[in-house]
Amino acid sequence: MPPILHSLPYFVAAWIFCCGLYGLVTSRHLIHSVICLAILQSSTYVLLLAIGYRTGGAAPVFADIAPGTLTVDPVVQALMLTDVVVEAVVVALLLAMVVKAYEKSGSVSPSDLRTMRG
Amino acid sequence: MTGPLPALPVVLPLLGAGLLAALRKWLSRAAADSLSIAVAAGTLISSFLLLSHALQHTRVYWFGNWYPRGSVVLGITFVVDPVAAGLSSLACLLVLLALVFSWRFVDAGANHYHPLMLVFLAAMDGFVLTGDLFNMFVFFELMSTAAFALCGLKTQEPAPLQGSFNFAVTNTVAAFLGLTGIALLYAVTGALNMAQIGLALGSRHDPLVLFAFTLLTCGFFVKAAIAPFHFWLPDAHAVAPTPVCVLFSGLMVELGLYAVVRLKSVIFQETFASSETHLRYILLAFGGITVLIGGVMCYAEHHLKRLLAFSTICHAGLMLAIFAIQGPLAIAAMLIYLVAHAFTKSSLFFVSGIVLHRLRSMSEHLLFGKGRSLRWTAALWFLGGIGLAASPGFSTMLAEAGTSSAAQQVGLHGLSWLFMFAGVMTSAAVFRVGMHTFAGWGDAPLTDLSAQVDELPETDAQDQKIFWYHFVPPLLCIVFAVALTFIPSWQYGVREAAARMYNQAAYLNTVYTGYSVPLQAPPSWRNEIPGAALRGTIAVLLALALACTSVFRGKLARSLRIGAFLEGPLTILRSVQSGHPGDYVLWLTVGLAIFGSASLFLLR
Repeated sequence: MPPILHSLPYFVAAWIFCCGLYGLVTSRHLIHSVICLAILQSSTYVLLLAIGYRTGGAAPVFADIAPGTLTVDPVVQALMLTDVVVEAVVVALLLAMVVKAYEKSGSVSPSDLRTMRG
Repeated sequence: MTGPLPALPVVLPLLGAGLLAALRKWLSRAAADSLSIAVAAGTLISSFLLLSHALQHTRVYWFGNWYPRGSVVLGITFVVDPVAAGLSSLACLLVLLALVFSWRFVDAGANHYHPLMLVFLAAMDGFVLTGDLFNMFVFFELMSTAAFALCGLKTQEPAPLQGSFNFAVTNTVAAFLGLTGIALLYAVTGALNMAQIGLALGSRHDPLVLFAFTLLTCGFFVKAAIAPFHFWLPDAHAVAPTPVCVLFSGLMVELGLYAVVRLKSVIFQETFASSETHLRYILLAFGGITVLIGGVMCYAEHHLKRLLAFSTICHAGLMLAIFAIQGPLAIAAMLIYLVAHAFTKSSLFFVSGIVLHRLRSMSEHLLFGKGRSLRWTAALWFLGGIGLAASPGFSTMLAEAGTSSAAQQVGLHGLSWLFMFAGVMTSAAVFRVGMHTFAGWGDAPLTDLSAQVDELPETDAQDQKIFWYHFVPPLLCIVFAVALTFIPSWQYGVREAAARMYNQAAYLNTVYTGYSVPLQAPPSWRNEIPGAALRGTIAVLLALALACTSVFRGKLARSLRIGAFLEGPLTILRSVQSGHPGDYVLWLTVGLAIFGSASLFLLR
């Protein structure tokens, strides 16, 4: 594999991170903000999987392969799964808040929600 | 000492939270209160036991007996050193006091409040005790999620939703920054255990390591409310229920700094051994700016909880500035300041809860002269204000003495001025509110936009009585803040603990072998105490004078109305605090870029 392909996942992760960040900064819709947060988080999935990737490695399930076989790193996959759980919780909580906000103020714009400033 | 005691501070509250959540619909309010208080008390006892053991030997607990093989660590560990066990005890104590304060009184949001508080406690305990970087991230997220939910508990109005949403968005971005940093460190070292990472990194400081350092530090700076990452904090504090504010300001914010100190001492100690001076100036710059912004904004606020929130920002910046000095003595001073500030600020928040309960408002303008009959409340409020100024008698003064002693050793001057500025601004704001509310002196208070959004009282309108258990938590906090000044053995313990925390080699040795070597505690700061007492007294007097120039502005010549001027427009600072989550994330990115480029250029 050419070296550029090795570093490609890292550029992809950085790109997704920046997309999420840009979306969050410019967002004028609460649900849009929450989705951007989820996008921002998916950059960490790509990053973690890229770190654990080994060229030619098998899936790290040792039930049917001999110990000592080259596999991709199982630790980062465990981290990624934990990360998915964390994201699910945070996104669910945030969306519940958005529903409440819509019930109270009839709007999903952060500008209508804000009562305190300064 | 063997057995699973180190896991108890996390396991107990989690079990209690599960029980309370399962029985939520059937438990009466009193039963939920008593059960959660019992669980918090049990956790406090286990944390205290841990602390008493940790003072002699650092205990390393491997979950499921997954001991390290050679230098490779696969298991997850809790490293119970005195600092971790002490902070865990502090967390239990504050949660216990907060639960006692909310007995039958604070709206529990259909009994959701108690399980959330216990989850919050478990997460804080796990966060301080763990010796594994990814585990730390998980506890960080657990702590944040419980905090978001607690903050938005009062969903009857939009303001808590705004505060909680901003809090959640900024802190989640921060958590992902941290996670990216952890992933990069894993890529470099192949380890998640902090000790193993520290061992593998050695003195390596290429751009990748610096980038990981930046991401992790800035991630925790968001939690620690360091400018320009601080914007979420006032919005969240102004709307959270009072006992929750106590935990936010008293400990959660400071845990962000604790994490930075821990990472720096265990992982990056060798990395920055060659560029310590530059790191000092970067951290000092961030801390100093935070103190300035926090202090100025604190005095300009007229919503009681927002005012206290900005004072927390100011003091968090001060703690970062103390840490910036580096060395065991500075860390000891920072830890003393952390504990003293936790007690003082908690007391002030408890008192603001009593005010909200009795007078049904948080706006200085509406409270004007209403609190004349609340003598005890007033006394506690003013005592808290005096404590913030590091006046003699309060243990904040010890931290001041320790700081100037540590600063002299590295040839730094002017930190005392920063201390004095923070003390004068924050305690003058507290005094001003006290004079207006409890004495009704002077002219009608000025006001601002956020103070107009008055807070929905968190208690039942029919039941405005005050009971003894409302006064016990703030009183105990003040008593602790004062009593700790006069216990020399405690100060020695903190210095020894700081030495153990700061020494990377000792930490690595402890994690790998399970034995801790006794270390030399840094010398006492006794010589500095008279000077610190003098500066503290001056700070209190200056704060009183400043508050008077606000309160009695009608009787003063125009040029003397300094306080009223400071309360005034400050349009730039106010407009930056826009209440818009997008703006806060933008500032976060700017801060990250500044910190990152500074460390890339200066720490190489």
